[in-house]
Amino acid sequence: MARVNIKIKVNGKLQELGVEAHETLLDTLRERLGLLGAKYGCGDGECGACTVLVEGNATLSCLTLAAHVDGKDIETIEGLEQGSQLHPLQESFVEQGAIQCGYCTPGMIMSAKALLDKDADPSEEKVRRAISNNLCRCTGYEKPVKAILEAARRMRGEK
Amino acid sequence: MKPFFKPKAYFRPGSLGKAVELLSNFGDRAKVLAGGTDLLVQKPSGVECLIDIADLGLEYIKEHENGVEIGAATTVRSIGVSGSLSSEPYLVLRDAACALGTPTIRNMATIGGNICNASPAADLPLALMVLGASLTIMGPAGKREVNIGEFFENIGGKNIQADELLLSINIPASRGRCGTSFQKLRHHQTSIDIAIVNVAARMTCEKQACVKASIALGAVAPTPIYARKAEALLGKKRPNAAIIQEAANAASEEVNPIDDVRGSKWYRKKMAAVLVRRALEESSRRCGIWPE
Repeated sequence: MARVNIKIKVNGKLQELGVEAHETLLDTLRERLGLLGAKYGCGDGECGACTVLVEGNATLSCLTLAAHVDGKDIETIEGLEQGSQLHPLQESFVEQGAIQCGYCTPGMIMSAKALLDKDADPSEEKVRRAISNNLCRCTGYEKPVKAILEAARRMRGEK
Repeated sequence: MKPFFKPKAYFRPGSLGKAVELLSNFGDRAKVLAGGTDLLVQKPSGVECLIDIADLGLEYIKEHENGVEIGAATTVRSIGVSGSLSSEPYLVLRDAACALGTPTIRNMATIGGNICNASPAADLPLALMVLGASLTIMGPAGKREVNIGEFFENIGGKNIQADELLLSINIPASRGRCGTSFQKLRHHQTSIDIAIVNVAARMTCEKQACVKASIALGAVAPTPIYARKAEALLGKKRPNAAIIQEAANAASEEVNPIDDVRGSKWYRKKMAAVLVRRALEESSRRCGIWPE
């Protein structure tokens, strides 16, 4: 089986890899790079547990071939922490109790990050729409929505 | 991944000629990859190679004097936020794009994919049907044009061969004042689920009368369809509540839906009438002739 050689930047670090033609970005991140934050959920694009950012846009890594993102900039939940300092989104998810089992959390936070990077002061409706491709089956959505709005306030330097 | 979807080769041609050559060589054993949101969900068996169209320069929205041309690999998100599509008659396409899937799906899915997947419930084809769009398709013998209304055949069938590639969608400029609308019913209005019924409508007005109406419905027949009898009822008249209701009822009689997990045939026919009424009301409002 012919390998496809790709160069991708993952969390700022250039990775040169030989991937299978049918290999998904999710498999590449988890199996080759050991980044276990993005999760496999449904494999159909409905749950959003695999969400990562490709060129800043929320993208379902289980429906994206690794070969397709050759040359692109990828961001995963592992790239958010700066040194030992959590990203404001991570901090506020913890503080607001927006995490229970945590399976959906990396995807939800990456969808939220895509929004906040483009819109520093989103309405609650925009937040809800931004995470509308992220299913949570235990915490619900009230606390994640609160956490994202709180993180946005902090990132704007309020409070 | 499901084990039966294991293409051995991945190609990313840099020219249209090379892409068509690859399609000719592999035929049915090749699949075109654009956004992947249908292909990688369906994971069809027997696919030996994937032809990624990312490097063919097919991601664009161009305004010109004869209308708007959209590249097949343009994402649904780009269509939803495009300034070129933010006025009539293009609002129907913008609204259909904003109603497709979720924001994450819209970042990935492409207009060409939404057409070529040929789902009877697809959103963008309905908008393109009422806009009278044509498709530019390239094959080994060169390019050809197909009207979008003649593209769909039976469930999932389409007027494109295994060695052909959809290049662009061409929307003619409108003559006269237009109002359009896109309506979609699904189980949760912001959810990812596909339509139970979806409707696109367009009215062209002169003075205070509708001179031409176009209505397309999805998820109510094996392919997206026009409601020709309903369209005829609107011609040359000033729309009012009674005429719009009559057209909505006529459209409901023209459709032939099935019972499935999303809705029964009975429910779909009822909802087809409701959605056509709302689409015609919004179209005539956007045209500036509603309410009287």
